[in-house]
Amino acid sequence: MEYKLRINEAMVPVKVEPKENRQFRLSVDDKAYDVTCDVISEDQLHLVIDGEQHNAFLVEENEYCRIITINGIPYKVEDADQAGRRPARRRKPGAIPREVTPPMPSVVVKLLVAEGDTVRKGDGVVVVSAMKMETTLAAPFDGRVGRINVTEGEKVKPGQILVDIQKGSIS
Amino acid sequence: MFKKILIANRGEIAVRIMRTCRELGISTVAVYSEADKTAAHVLASDESVFLGDSDPSESYLNIDKIISAAHETGATAIHPGYGFLAENPDFAESCERAGLTFIGPPVEAIRALGDKTVARQLMIKGGVPVIPGMTRADPDTERLAEEAGRIGYPVLIKAAGGGGGKGMRVVNNPDEIKPACEAASSEAAGAFGNGAIYIEKYLARPRHVEFQILADASGKVIHLLERECSIQRRYQKIIEETPSPAVTPELREEMGEAAIKAAVASGYVNAGTVEFLLDEDGRFYFLEVNTRLQVEHPVTEMITGIDLVRHQIEIAAGRPLSLSQADIKGRGHAIECRIYAEDPENDFAPSPGKIGFLKEPQGPGIRMDSGVHAGFQVPVEYDPILSKLIVHAENRDLAIRRMIRALENTVLLGIKTPVPFLIDILKSKAFRDGRTFTDFIPTHFNTWRPDTTDAHLAGIAFIAHALSVKGRKKATAPAGSDFASPWVTLGRWKNG
Repeated sequence: MEYKLRINEAMVPVKVEPKENRQFRLSVDDKAYDVTCDVISEDQLHLVIDGEQHNAFLVEENEYCRIITINGIPYKVEDADQAGRRPARRRKPGAIPREVTPPMPSVVVKLLVAEGDTVRKGDGVVVVSAMKMETTLAAPFDGRVGRINVTEGEKVKPGQILVDIQKGSIS
Repeated sequence: MFKKILIANRGEIAVRIMRTCRELGISTVAVYSEADKTAAHVLASDESVFLGDSDPSESYLNIDKIISAAHETGATAIHPGYGFLAENPDFAESCERAGLTFIGPPVEAIRALGDKTVARQLMIKGGVPVIPGMTRADPDTERLAEEAGRIGYPVLIKAAGGGGGKGMRVVNNPDEIKPACEAASSEAAGAFGNGAIYIEKYLARPRHVEFQILADASGKVIHLLERECSIQRRYQKIIEETPSPAVTPELREEMGEAAIKAAVASGYVNAGTVEFLLDEDGRFYFLEVNTRLQVEHPVTEMITGIDLVRHQIEIAAGRPLSLSQADIKGRGHAIECRIYAEDPENDFAPSPGKIGFLKEPQGPGIRMDSGVHAGFQVPVEYDPILSKLIVHAENRDLAIRRMIRALENTVLLGIKTPVPFLIDILKSKAFRDGRTFTDFIPTHFNTWRPDTTDAHLAGIAFIAHALSVKGRKKATAPAGSDFASPWVTLGRWKNG
């Protein structure tokens, strides 16, 4: 059986050949491994890989994605076939996102605009705070402030549009 | 001695204070907010009082609510921990007025040392070396520019009323001084409600070296050696150690004496920390006094064998300091790593969320001061510190090895933490060589990415898990899908 895993954003082809109980032969990126696996608990596996022992700890991020820690380093591993080939959503540092949404769960500290205001790309629109760090979310393009969907003090999540901005040139 | 103490804080520091209280036979009262109903400090206390909404102003910063909680439960003293109200002189004063003992220094000392220019004046009077610069804030940019010229560029603009890097600006040449002063002042006004700024000489590559002090009401003051805290991000420490690789026995004695002078000059009582900057030539300058227990106090406890919280409580209860300077001996080396809910790959952005799985390291010389548990939803409203991992070993090299081992045995899943970043710092030659200056992270780890040595192992674990865990069949391929997935095939194997 062949799978495609996305490990920390890198696509890795995997072939699996099951053998007897708890054992299988795997090839990861064309490198072959003999593996024996013991399930210690729901969160912990004990693996013997080519004779070397490893403990792996897992938590489910979603149906097709696990965060797996080995030797203190967490890896994000996803079944790319099942999860679909969603493009990685990593933005360039400093780039302004297309929507006014917080990068992490936050609290709205201050609204810097009112409905109907005109804004220029890069203008501060709303200030959010997460764990004592304040971030000013900027207008993604020139335009006019449509609806403001939140109030000060409200808890907000990534993906939630805090302020609608209608694109348009400002005269 | 107090029978019951209220801890006006949350997280790891509240839990740590409660541990000492329990050992001393003192009952503990936790206070908590909406977000912290099942937080570790609530679970660790003898009784707990709900303060209100998660917003700090409604809970951990609400003086009236905290004082009524103490009255309600019959607590007679309040330990403020660090952060929140710990360095707020009005809180200390309110406690006193309410007949409660504030476990910390006198109100006047907190107030004087909280204003950086007042602190500088006190230190100059007390014979403690300060960074060359102004001793009074000045609102006039003309005069500030003149002072900067007199001090000599580069200079550092600082806010008199606060810290944490807010209102701070490095200025390299005279053309930039006036706009920089205006920007710094407005930032300080926004952050602290006080736009007062002053100017100091900028030290390019200092180390941050601080001394722990203990003082009792009779005027007896001792120091408990130094801590080096140069490894910082956004002006916040992330790794601390003692002894400092840069401090010689002679320098230790000299700096320790200066720390004691600083305590005497400010009429200090209880535990405190005198922070210094140490330059590359071995000259040191007073930075500030932290009038509370420090986050990094455990490294001092590890090498001296002294419980600082116990001494804080005893001093607050009016007992004389039972230690003298000759009793203080450092043994071995201790290092602390702060484990924050943050993403070191993404400029240390906060990473609140639910902790899915937690396994803490164990073994000789390992101490974990933790304020979270598996299943806990780490709130967005508070500081991102989750826990502190502290190790103690015979020497620095062994302590570094022990810390790497302990970090590799740390599992905290569900939110981002800097554990992989900390491992790489400890493994780096610069750290091992003791080349620890405050510009360490930008100099050596500016473009850090996590190690991917075990990426294949992670892939194998993923497949092995899917194939091995029984009953994991909820995920099936969508109808008509041609993709084989471990979850689909899992069922067949198990049933076949």
